[in-house]
Amino acid sequence: MKKPLNVMFLTWEYPPRVIGGISPHVFYLSKSLAKNDVKVHVVTCDFPGAPAHETIDGVEVYRVDSYKNPAPDFATWVYLMNLNMQKEAAAIAGKLDRKVDVFHAHDWLVATAGIGLKHVFRKPLLVTMHSTEIGRRDGIHTSTERMIAETEAWLTYEAWKVICCSNYMMSHVKWAFGLPDDKLVMVPNGVNVRVYDKARQQDLKDFRTTFALPDEKLVLFVGRLVYEKGAHVLINAIPKILEKVNAKFVIVGSGYMKEQLSTIVRSMGLEHKVLFTGFVEEESLIKLQCCADVAVVPSLFEPFGIVALEAMAAKSPVVVSDTGGLSEIVEHDVTGAKVYANNVESMAWGITKVLLDEKYRNNLRENAYKRIQERYDWEKIAQQTKQIYEGVLGEYSKSFWA
Amino acid sequence: MGELAEYTSKLATELVKKGIETFLVTYHPYLTGITQEPNGVGTVRVSNPVRTHIGVLTWVLTLNQEVERAAANIYYKANKQIDLVDVFDWHFIPAAVTLKNALGIPFIYSVDSLEDHRSHEANSPYNMAIKSIEWLGTYEASKVIAKSEWMRDEIIRIYETPKEKIQVRLPAAISWVEDVLKVYSIAKRSAGGR
Repeated sequence: MKKPLNVMFLTWEYPPRVIGGISPHVFYLSKSLAKNDVKVHVVTCDFPGAPAHETIDGVEVYRVDSYKNPAPDFATWVYLMNLNMQKEAAAIAGKLDRKVDVFHAHDWLVATAGIGLKHVFRKPLLVTMHSTEIGRRDGIHTSTERMIAETEAWLTYEAWKVICCSNYMMSHVKWAFGLPDDKLVMVPNGVNVRVYDKARQQDLKDFRTTFALPDEKLVLFVGRLVYEKGAHVLINAIPKILEKVNAKFVIVGSGYMKEQLSTIVRSMGLEHKVLFTGFVEEESLIKLQCCADVAVVPSLFEPFGIVALEAMAAKSPVVVSDTGGLSEIVEHDVTGAKVYANNVESMAWGITKVLLDEKYRNNLRENAYKRIQERYDWEKIAQQTKQIYEGVLGEYSKSFWA
Repeated sequence: MGELAEYTSKLATELVKKGIETFLVTYHPYLTGITQEPNGVGTVRVSNPVRTHIGVLTWVLTLNQEVERAAANIYYKANKQIDLVDVFDWHFIPAAVTLKNALGIPFIYSVDSLEDHRSHEANSPYNMAIKSIEWLGTYEASKVIAKSEWMRDEIIRIYETPKEKIQVRLPAAISWVEDVLKVYSIAKRSAGGR
């Protein structure tokens, strides 16, 4: 009988620690892999109240000391955190009854831990590049950014395979790091439709009133308040939208642009129309996504666009920038409305169209929901990922490391 | 850079003279790879794959993976028969700790100087990070070697290391190499005699 695969995930975020899209990605992928007879050991950063070790649906989750002393800066903290993660992961891997077959790192944030573990255990390293520094910053402008970009390049160089979540990201990573085609593989991100189905069965009328008045359409933005997510494009489009539709704009998330965005809203006199919620815990966020009359993803750079996928699963019509992975997820006028990236006029047009045309809106909802079930099911994604592991191990078995 | 180059070269040479197979892993900006030095020490020099840095800490922390790669190559080439790692000062403590946890190779932490002395009364996040790595070295090492009794007392004062964990070995002593070898033997035995 074939031995089940033993994989170690390295990730800086895993629920309840949620910072960006890596956390839900790793959570659902690891659980779906476990259902497909892959033993996954997730090594991640600690979180207040979360246990140091727990088993979640067959997935072993280890939360390690993420270096809590004040660090000189974020990038240095990342490398210090990696020191601890690598030390703990080495001890965990060393004590397992069955050896780890593959180390799977998620983004540069765990680069040095992944590279070190690969060499000391002589096992293949895979990486999922969720994003790149050059994409996030729209170029490399500072020493910190260059250092991170070089760390990403090093990680992709050391990896046996580099997994990207969209065709756009695959070509971007190939260009950014000069990688050969046969090193890159595309596996889309997934979404758990069932949690949204369950939320929609509830009466959400009262819940909705905590965010918007009954006669206001609810326009939802979910994401980090950082430049590349483009919340400023949405906010600048609000006056034009309000000329035609009465709406409330709910901005979920936090980030370094929070104050700047609040100032813009104040200066436009729109405080009564824009609600900054900050971080919203998962259960409420799912309900909010189900209540939204339109979900907007105005990103300037988007490797994949998981928020759009979630909105589609929640049967909320989506308006997205025609950029990156969003261009692949959304089919214009079929599963959502695409607008020009970083274009306020276009953004206002798209949102207004969706909000004013009920038939169009309902068509988008139904088509998008169907598309999600066809292409972005975690079960299928786990099977694809398992096949990649098996392919890599087949190649590895012929190497002198085996 | 300092006295460590001369110290480690002298120690490695003397160990080879005593018939102990000795490998040295160190840094060089471009002359990388394996060489057999005239003194008989197998030397591996590694550079940092990340060229741009914002400080010494990021440079050190990324260089450690190359040190681990080089050390692991030595370990596997030697049929996993590496008895001990001796790490000099804080820079490569992360690598030594990983090698210990992953491959079960015990290590000695040889203290030449401490951050508390190099940056007296400085407690910035930068200094604290280096101190946390030095502490990790004292905690994870099988034995700590100090070059003077004063340094031993300082290690105890700053890091609360148990006195019996620290061995003082005076580099000027005639029996210096034998003294160091005794510490190596104790560390190897206490780690289960791998």
